Order: sequence, then C-alpha cells, then structure tokens
Amino acid sequence: MRERIIELDVRDDLRRGREPFSKIMLTVAQLKAEESLRLLAPFEPKPLFAVLAQQGFSYVSKALDSGDFEVLFSRHAASLKEHAPAGRDAAQSSPPAIVELDARGLEPPQPMVKILEAVETLPIHAQLHAHTDRRPMHLYAQLEARGFTAHSEEQSDGTFITHVRRK
Amino acid sequence: MSGVNSQPAATRQNAAAHAPATANAPSGMLPLRFILTGVLALAVGMVWVAARPDVLTTYHYNQYVIALTHLFVLGWLCTVVMGAMYQLVPVALETKLHSERMAKWQFVFQVVGFAGMVWMFWIWDMKQVGHFGSALAVGVGLFVYNLARTLLRVPRWNVVATAVASGLFWLSLTILAGLSIATAKCTYESAETLAATSVLGAMIHGLRSLAMFMARFDQLGAMHAHAHLGVVGFFIMVLVGVSYKLVPMFTLSEVQSKARAACSVALLNLGLAGAGATILLRSPWKPLFALVIIAGLAVYGWELTQILRARKRRPLDWALRYFLTALALLVPVSLMGAVLSWPTLPLNATTGQLENVYGFLGLIGVSSFAILGMLYKIIPFQVWFTTYSQHIGRSRVPALADMYSARWQAAGYWLFAAGLLVTSLATFFSHAAGVRLGGLLLTLSVGTFIVNVAKILHHLVRPRITPLSLKPRPGVPTDTSPAAMSGSSSPKAENAFAV
Repeated sequence: MRERIIELDVRDDLRRGREPFSKIMLTVAQLKAEESLRLLAPFEPKPLFAVLAQQGFSYVSKALDSGDFEVLFSRHAASLKEHAPAGRDAAQSSPPAIVELDARGLEPPQPMVKILEAVETLPIHAQLHAHTDRRPMHLYAQLEARGFTAHSEEQSDGTFITHVRRK
Repeated sequence: MSGVNSQPAATRQNAAAHAPATANAPSGMLPLRFILTGVLALAVGMVWVAARPDVLTTYHYNQYVIALTHLFVLGWLCTVVMGAMYQLVPVALETKLHSERMAKWQFVFQVVGFAGMVWMFWIWDMKQVGHFGSALAVGVGLFVYNLARTLLRVPRWNVVATAVASGLFWLSLTILAGLSIATAKCTYESAETLAATSVLGAMIHGLRSLAMFMARFDQLGAMHAHAHLGVVGFFIMVLVGVSYKLVPMFTLSEVQSKARAACSVALLNLGLAGAGATILLRSPWKPLFALVIIAGLAVYGWELTQILRARKRRPLDWALRYFLTALALLVPVSLMGAVLSWPTLPLNATTGQLENVYGFLGLIGVSSFAILGMLYKIIPFQVWFTTYSQHIGRSRVPALADMYSARWQAAGYWLFAAGLLVTSLATFFSHAAGVRLGGLLLTLSVGTFIVNVAKILHHLVRPRITPLSLKPRPGVPTDTSPAAMSGSSSPKAENAFAV
C-alpha cells in the first residue's frame, strides 16, 4: 500500500515569529499509520529529528533551491528510499540519527525502564544516547538479548552516556 | 542536500570506562534463595525469643543464648548479607561475579552448617558444632574466594570496595576464631592412641595443640572478641560500605566527601583490630579502641547526614526509614559499648543485663532493622527484574512500589520499633513477660514483612503483564512511544524545535 503524504508548511509561521512546535506535534498525532509528513521549514529542523525518532519516525531531509528545507517523516523507513535525493540512500549512506534520552535524576530502576522503552521505538538506523547518573549495569544484558550493542562512557561530571545501536 | 545530524558528546575517553554488554549480576534466583532462607531463620528466631524469654533475662553465656545468637547471626544476618552481596557487589563496583556456580555450592554449605550448628549448640555437643562449623567454614571460604576474585576485577577501586574487602577479611577471621573457640571446648582422648604421622592423627594432634593454645585466653573474652569481629567487622563494615552506594542511589544524592567516607572505613578497621586484641586479652586499653570505632561511626554518621542533606528526592520512603532508624540506634549501642569496655567495670546482674541489651540492640536493632529496610529495596527489584525485564518497553509492567503493601510495611516499622523498645527495657530489668511481649511485637513485625515478601513473590508465579496498546483516541493512531504512554510530550520535546 502506497503511503499518503500530509504536507505541513511552517515557513510562514517561523517568519512571523510564531512557534510551530505544537502545530507540528498535533499534525503528527493525527497521522494515520500509513501516512507520512512532509514538513517545509526555512531551516533544517534538526532537534525535531530526535523527538520524532522517539515516536518511531525516520526521515529524509533535503535542501530546496530556495534555501528552505523539505523533510519527509515516515514510520516506514523503506518508503523513504523513494524520496531520497538521486544517488543517495538516506538510510544507508547518512550518518545514523541520534536519539538523546536523559534518564538522570531518576531512582533505579526507572533509568533502565526509560532506556528499554526508548529502544523499542528506536528507528532502524538510529542510535540511542542515554544519559544516566550511574553506569547502567543491569541494562547491558537486556540490550544484548534484544539485539542491541551498548557501551558506556563516563563524563567529566561523573555521569554516563550509553551508546546503544542495533547489532 | 540530505543529511542527519550527529551530536558528538564531549566525553572523557577512558578505556576502563567502556563496559562490555554482558550480564554482570548473577541470576535473580541466586540472591533470593539466600535471602528467603535468612528471612525464615529470622522468623524462627523471633518466635524463639517470644517463646523462651529467659534467653534475654539471664546472662548470655549459656547454650540456649549461644544457639539463638548463631541462628540470628549465621542463619539470618550472614545468609541474607551473603545473598545480597552476590547481587550488589558486582553491580555497585561495575564488575562481574567470579562464579555463580561457586555461590550455589556455598548456599548448601551455609544452610547445612548454620542449621547443624544451632542444633548442636542447643544440645551442647561441641564436637558436632565443630563439624557443622567446618562445613559452614568451607562455604564461607567459597564466598570469600568468590568475592575476592570479583574484587580483583574492579576497574576502579573505591571506598565501597575497601569496605567489602575489609568485611571479607574480618569475616574470615571471625570464622577462624569461632572454630578455634569450639576446638578449645572439645577433648582429644584419641590423640593418645593415634600416631601423629597418620593424616587423622596429625589432624587430632593439631586440634589438641590449638585447644591448648586457646586455653591461655579467657573464654568470655575470646567469645566477645569473636562476636565483635563478626558484627562490627562484617555486618557493620558492609552496611557502611554499601550504604555509600545505595543511600545516594535511592535518595538521588552523591557522596559529599570521599575523604570522609574513606576515613570512616579506616577508623573502623583500625578500631576493630585494636578492639579484637584488647577484648581477647581483657586489656585495659579496650576503651581506647572502642572510642576509635565510635569515631569511625561518628564520621560515617557525619557523611551520611551530608549525603541526605544534599538529596534531590526529599521524601524518605519506608525502606529508608527502616535503614536510617537502625543507623540512629548506633548512638545508644555505641554509648553502651563505651561503658561496657571500661576495664574496671564489675560484672554483676546490672552490667550483665546491659551486655544483653547491647548485644540484642547490635544484632536486632542495628543490623536486622537496617537489613529489613534494604530488603524492601532488594527483594522487589530481584523479583521484578527476574519476572519483567524482558517485557519492559513491550508491555505494561508494575512499578516496584506496586508489588507490596506500603501499609503493611509501615505497620512493620512501628511494630519493630516498639518491639525493640519493649524488649530492650524488659531485658535490662530481667522482666520475662516484657521480653515475651517485645518478642511478640517483633514476631508480628516479621510477619508483616513475610506478608509483603509473599505479595512480591506472587509476581514470580502470576506476572501482571498487560499490553501496551492504549485506548485509541479518535483520529490518533496507536502509539507505543514513551511520550505517548506518559500522555504528553516531555518538556525537553516541547523545546526541541525552538533550539
């Protein structure tokens, strides 16, 4: 079944100084399973990529001749290939999308719960960067069993970032 | 142009900081078997106090008190602490348990050893105490070796590791001291007929020599030294060390001064080394080393207070209240210890009963109350992790706090506190009916704990797993993302586009 694309142009909102986030999230919430979102913005909305990745969306971004950006968000990574710019397979050739997850300031086992919930909706080619107060010792075996690899890096402030990606 | 953002984090590259993606803690059932066995021993012990209040109303140097004490110390405290350490040490020190198989064998030696010892103390057959004690010692040897090998893998040594290593050392010394005391209470008639050149003969001659060596020491002094090495060296030392990890974890705080934490453990070690020797030798220097131990506990209390003041999670849950109340009891126990260490203090009915109160509060007030609090964190997590870890993010699973009743937990707290107060006063005044009442209150408290443990264990049999799918709102596709599950976008998400 071919995906239906819903278009949302927020260029005018941004030029008028209006915050388009709520409008975008409302549109995303109303998308049906087989529908994708084509977003038109005057710049590449990088922070939005991680937010929608948490909801299972992959994306293809391309610059228009006008200098604006067109980003296609879809729950089906395969369908993005059709829309990728010629000669490029976004999913294959682009660096992986990074989903940032802040699980600091939570009592155990909430950090593990949040991270495992996030990996269940992690887009195929995305990586998860989970920020925690402690090294998530119980997490590694769970991620391994779910087909992920992970390694943690200690930060200068004593917290940890765990990098999670599919094997 | 097409592209995806990448956000390289400013990280301090540290080779030791990279952890492998492997299981670090042992399977959940291993600590649970130790812990449940310990809880059973605690329940039997409390019923015993209620049924036989004379164990506290008379001086403690008799076979029944020694049997009951070993039930509490080996059956309850040691078994539970060992099970919890198999779980906590690898996780807290970011390493892996050396051998789970060795831990399973240790469990067998532990149960056979302590059950046999308690029984043989009860009927006062010291030769059999020695045999069952040897079985227990084999288990303790496996435990110490297993954790020592685990500690050797610790990537970064810290105060928790020092406290655990110290605890293992003092535990080993306690077991050796206990076996030596038991050896001194046996007779070796067969040494006259067995040649020292045979294996059995050499062993019997060796034991007789050890018994003769131990005969140089005062029996009461040796028993008190043995008790202090075990309770202060193992239980208190491990409680102090592990709390430097667990209290910040559960209150969302940090250790405020690593130097202060290290100082507390160093003073405990120094004080105990001196106290062990001076108690054994009935030396007039006893009060000095008692004060060093008290100084270590005071520094520990200072650091713990600072940790709690800096906490981000203001409410203290009931588990922490159990734990912190137990630690507060270190104040009266320390005062009693200081008084009882005075070399010219006469041993009379009053000081004898004060010794009973001191021992009772040390074992049941401080150690047991604290461990019950920690078990309210450990058991739910073990069962939850064993039952639900594969379902997190894929199904709805219960929260830890939903696995047991907070009301039963609160009732257990007040019953235990009341039981401690009544039993301590009644013990001091040698009031048997009062000790019985206190024992009943403590038994009821343990009963509430067992009810909650049963509620928690029920999840192993009947897990409560429900599908994630929410009732679809009109026009909104089914969404299983964390944001959708929580019903709203996170504040971070709200700001994301505007960055």
